[in-house]
Amino acid sequence: MQQEVVLALLAKEPSHGYELRARLREALGPLGDAMNDGQVYVTLGRLEKAGQVTVEHAAGMPDRPDRKMYALTAAGQHRVAEWLAEVSWPKPDLAEFHLKLLAAAAAHLADPVAIVDAQRRELLRRLRDAQRIAMAEPRESDAALLLEGIVLRLQADLRWLEACERTWTKRKASSRGEQ
Amino acid sequence: MLRARGLRKEYGREASLVRAVDQVDLDVPAGETLAVMGPSGCGKSTLLHLLGGLDRPSAGEIWLAGERIDQMSERGMAALRRDAVGFVFQAFHLMDELTAVENIELPALLAGRSPRAARRRAAELLDQVGLADRARHLPSQLSGGQRQRVAIARALANSPLVVLADEPTGNLDSEATLDVLQLFESLHEAGQTLVIVTHDARIAATADRLISMRDGAFVDDTRLTGGTAGNLSALVGLDG
Amino acid sequence: MRSRLLIVSRLAARDLRYRRGETAMLVVAFVAATATLTLGLILHGVISRPYQQTRAATAGPDVEATAFPQRGGPPADRAALASLTPLVRARGVTAHTGPYPVAFAVLHAAGHADAVLAEGRDQAPAAVDQPALTQGSWVRPGGVVLERSFADALGVRAGDRVTLNGRSFLVSGIAVTAALPTSGIGFLGNSSQFPNPGLIWVTRAAAESLATRAHPLGYLLNLKLAKPSGAESFANAYTNGGSYNDNVGNPYLLPWQDISQQDGLLVRNEQRIMLVGSWLLALLALGSVVILVGGRMADQVRRVGLLKAVGGTPVLVAGVLLAEYVVVALVAAVIGLAAGRLAAPLLTSPGAGLLGTAGAPSLTLGAVAEVAGVALGVAAAATFAPAIRAARTSTVRALIDVARSPRRRGLLIALSAWLPVPALLGLRLAARRPRRLAANAISIAVTVSGLVALLFAQASLGAPQLGGTTSGSADPGQFEVGFADVTQRVDQVLLIVTVMLAVLAAVNAIFITQATVRDARHNSAVTRGVGASCQQVAAGLSAAQVLPALAGALAGIPGGIGLFAAANQGGYSGTPPVWWLIAVVLLTVAGVAALTAAPAWAGARRPIAEVLQAEAA
Repeated sequence: MQQEVVLALLAKEPSHGYELRARLREALGPLGDAMNDGQVYVTLGRLEKAGQVTVEHAAGMPDRPDRKMYALTAAGQHRVAEWLAEVSWPKPDLAEFHLKLLAAAAAHLADPVAIVDAQRRELLRRLRDAQRIAMAEPRESDAALLLEGIVLRLQADLRWLEACERTWTKRKASSRGEQ
Repeated sequence: MLRARGLRKEYGREASLVRAVDQVDLDVPAGETLAVMGPSGCGKSTLLHLLGGLDRPSAGEIWLAGERIDQMSERGMAALRRDAVGFVFQAFHLMDELTAVENIELPALLAGRSPRAARRRAAELLDQVGLADRARHLPSQLSGGQRQRVAIARALANSPLVVLADEPTGNLDSEATLDVLQLFESLHEAGQTLVIVTHDARIAATADRLISMRDGAFVDDTRLTGGTAGNLSALVGLDG
Repeated sequence: MRSRLLIVSRLAARDLRYRRGETAMLVVAFVAATATLTLGLILHGVISRPYQQTRAATAGPDVEATAFPQRGGPPADRAALASLTPLVRARGVTAHTGPYPVAFAVLHAAGHADAVLAEGRDQAPAAVDQPALTQGSWVRPGGVVLERSFADALGVRAGDRVTLNGRSFLVSGIAVTAALPTSGIGFLGNSSQFPNPGLIWVTRAAAESLATRAHPLGYLLNLKLAKPSGAESFANAYTNGGSYNDNVGNPYLLPWQDISQQDGLLVRNEQRIMLVGSWLLALLALGSVVILVGGRMADQVRRVGLLKAVGGTPVLVAGVLLAEYVVVALVAAVIGLAAGRLAAPLLTSPGAGLLGTAGAPSLTLGAVAEVAGVALGVAAAATFAPAIRAARTSTVRALIDVARSPRRRGLLIALSAWLPVPALLGLRLAARRPRRLAANAISIAVTVSGLVALLFAQASLGAPQLGGTTSGSADPGQFEVGFADVTQRVDQVLLIVTVMLAVLAAVNAIFITQATVRDARHNSAVTRGVGASCQQVAAGLSAAQVLPALAGALAGIPGGIGLFAAANQGGYSGTPPVWWLIAVVLLTVAGVAALTAAPAWAGARRPIAEVLQAEAA
């Protein structure tokens, strides 16, 4: 779990851990179900050590960790502001798959087209899952927008795989022709 | 339900001969939703036209519910399109001067049903596609998604054995696309056999099975059910 | 400016060449209308000038005085003769010839038996009314001279032999006269047995010998007046009562103006028919153009959009559209004028009864201008509205939009649900384009009006009108030529006009079907896509034409009756059998169905997938 996400969730007001978890679930919808509940607390612990979050034990209930109230420190707030201004973007790691195909072809380890097909099937199944979740989700929920993004991303990946397949099919045909 | 063997469709002659569909074998069991996917010009629309009796194959055989349809007379083909097949097109192909309900009841009227029965059936279907309040609207007064839902209702008018959809969401925005996909899903749940032709992986991915087509031939046949289903975290990088 | 003209002419020419079939049909429509109009105009006045020429050449009388016995028997003919003598000394009379004896007789020639009025003349030339010979020589004993139009109708030439009341005579010559009308002189003797006799000249002695107890001699007196223009009032003053239709009293005076008019009557009838016919044809031609232009709007609108997108102004756009049809109209007007001019002599030959060049009628500049004007007017009227509409359409709309969207007729659509499938489809197709529907109905109504008018004319002409029925001992088929001569020509003219009307209506029906088929291409494909067979669709397309055709045909019956009444001011009357009218309606509808079947079938058979794919693109 990214630390910045948890910090940003605290920016509105000091909150209990379970409140953060509920907010995350709401934002992610069914995708939030896959999230490990402990992750939020692990991350909060790390942030506390780094001095970006303070913890107040709720009065009268000292022995219930759940009743811990988390709040941002000045450093924490600063980090949130920096994060919002950042323009970094998750890297679509296509290079790895690309190199996989090249290596498979060069060493005659496997048929690159078969690799592409297998990959495509996998992505299609993921797309089907995402699509089904999206169709079940109420239109106005925050999660619907996220799912739309996931679906579009998978579509883009599938289109790239189609391009891979076209190219490798052609190469296979021409190398066969040379032999 | 739907079966094809050695199906071929050629256009042109000699040097300019184009095989739009080339030696295709196909089996669609009852109740299955099949997607046929491929780039434009791969022959998938032609395949759909052959399956639905809009066009005749150059060679090969087609059976629908155990009956051979590729050698039917013109009249037989018309009856087939009327009673056994429901078509959904990318461009909707509704009649501009007919209201939603009139468009839907047309196949029933052609089938010789009484106007009253046809109207009742059309009203039911309009309700089913969620447009009961748009019965008296002309297509020009409906949004793209609504028009396509009317077209789907029309395709269902005579309770066809199979619904054939050609790029059903090609002209729709993503919201209307979801509406249409949801409608297809409910048809699927009701046991309707459905063949969808599309170049859009997203639409194809809603099917039980996906056939990829290139240059008139099938290149891949994937069952989409099973697999990673349930592993939601694979969809979103939240693992830390 | 020049470049703009170039663009307009180039685009117009390309488009016309691209649609050769349509252009040809359009030219046919225009030519039929302009040719008929030309004929109508040429016939105007064709008769008046030849009559003048003949009058001059034959020293025609200003007034022809006639006297026929009122009752049978020799005393009566003397009374008739006596009634003429005072006229010779009447005021204003400057010269006279006669009285000449005239007798009704039966002439046999070339297997025909015809009634004739034989006028007994001196062998010496007369100062007033000396018939002008066009063949042979003047009367002599044993010889007979025939009036030219009568001789033409019989096919008799100088040198042939004929019999009069059984006695053989040699045809010594053929001549023309201005003293009597060339046809319709049966009223003179008021003899039911000699309806519409031909005119011949024999010697006085021969004429006197031809008289019988039942048909005693009558007399003709030719008078020259000091003031020829006063002939009508002179005739009124001295005629002893009576008119063309009543019993003719003695003496009965015919002023030369009446004779001129009577001679022109036949041609005037033709002319009236041609003029009415040509207006009907012009109406149909207008219909053709309107239908064609309307049917092409789908293409035109997109073309207009393209033109405008590359910078064409609305004026340019309208110019291109107008130029096309104006060119077609002008070409057709030229062909129509030439055709009308060439065909005119065929119809004016009944003027053969008169000396002069009746066979070479002239085309005046005014007539040319009128024909060209009508053609251009039709073209402009038909294209004006679409051209303006196209020019004013927004560019973007024109590029994306396909013509005007069809009309919706909710009630019709609801009603049609209860009909069998072809009628259901036909009614809905018809309702999409109500204006085309109306054009179709009107076109058929105009044509059927023409047909019905023809039937009425047939029925009227079939019954003898002027001389009453032949009766007594006479053979019913005996006296056919004289009257048939008149009616045949009018019949021919009516037939020509009607055939032209039918041709144009057929062209229109095909145009309309084509336009409907093109317009309904998408609809037909969708209808077949949801399960209609192509037989049903073709039947529907045909029904869309047949339904308005039926309405038009029914409307054509009163239309035709009105047309006949208007074109035939008095004179003829008669009613065709009702089953003729029913047959006309049924045949018209069957004809429309047959004409539309081919394009409808072709349209209905187009591959569905192809059409739907093209429309989606």
